[in-house]
Amino acid sequence: MPMIVCHGPKGGTGNTFVAAHLAMGLSAQGADVTVVSVAARDSLPLHFGLSPATSLPAITAPADEAVLVGGINLRSWRRAAEDLDFVPMLNELGYFQPGKERVLVVDVPSGDTRLARRLIEHACAHVCTINAQPDTLALLPQVFGEAGPEGLARTAFVINALDETRRLGRHGAAFIRELAGQRLIGRIRMDEAVPEAIATLQMLGRYAPASVALADVKQIAEAIAPTLDSTTNSWVAPVSLAA
Amino acid sequence: MRIDARNLLDRLGRNEFAYKEFEDRFSDLELWPILEALLRDPRLQTLDQTAAEAPPVETENSDPELAAEPLKNLFSRYEQHSVSPSIAKSVVEEPVRDVRAMLRHLSDLGARGEI
Repeated sequence: MPMIVCHGPKGGTGNTFVAAHLAMGLSAQGADVTVVSVAARDSLPLHFGLSPATSLPAITAPADEAVLVGGINLRSWRRAAEDLDFVPMLNELGYFQPGKERVLVVDVPSGDTRLARRLIEHACAHVCTINAQPDTLALLPQVFGEAGPEGLARTAFVINALDETRRLGRHGAAFIRELAGQRLIGRIRMDEAVPEAIATLQMLGRYAPASVALADVKQIAEAIAPTLDSTTNSWVAPVSLAA
Repeated sequence: MRIDARNLLDRLGRNEFAYKEFEDRFSDLELWPILEALLRDPRLQTLDQTAAEAPPVETENSDPELAAEPLKNLFSRYEQHSVSPSIAKSVVEEPVRDVRAMLRHLSDLGARGEI
């Protein structure tokens, strides 16, 4: 029961979108996936085509309260940032062991840096979603400085909402690619279908099966899948799918 | 997807558009001072350490010459006019290749449509 932590340095980069579709992608590959939001105000249900009024059950809630979408178990733990027993609890629930039988994807808001660091220590992978905009690029030294070599060893980067028709976007993406190298496991192209799917309360795969963002994020899930069986502390994507 | 876009894709026999105007020259990349400022930040060298611990991975787009060179060398060359003694020493020992080689590399990748 391995854990994948989704946490980016800046809000609005699409961290929740990536967490949701990572869960869907791993589920499609046969994993039994639970995705948990630790945000006080979370938008995770929207990416599963659920109503904004949906309240996700706590990770400790009984099975009969579960919210299941396509076999994926959606949970929440809003007090995770202050709860020092959260990590031990996940350990007791068996989420720190390799294997595809059960997988935990944790969606951590950008502001909860300390919680993210605590979780990444026990994760098989940390997926850091960024965009190619300069205000996000400017945060990268701080991200690397806080994570240190050990934290970065588990980190894979994803560029989200990439607009290749814009010069600055192309340059920013090229910069990230050279900086992150093989740790950049993919990019997700800007796609208006993503917010449109949310607005229609549908899952992206149903609203726009030909969505380029959907195709891109599926590739990222495929790149992440080998980490589920990893027993080492240092994980690197087998093949760079970056644009 | 709008119906007119869908019709055009159908006529082209494609499922998606891909933007293919990648003629950026490295001089264009140099227009962004934030990239140069970031390259000077020593915290980015952390990636070098993790890369050293990770198994080497070949990608079809990788440039062996550039990939073999740690980022810190690029940083040190960039800072060769105002550097600490230890960094300055590495500058002397390394072949003098401006950090703009990195930008030029990015430009070449762009020209080949690989970024």
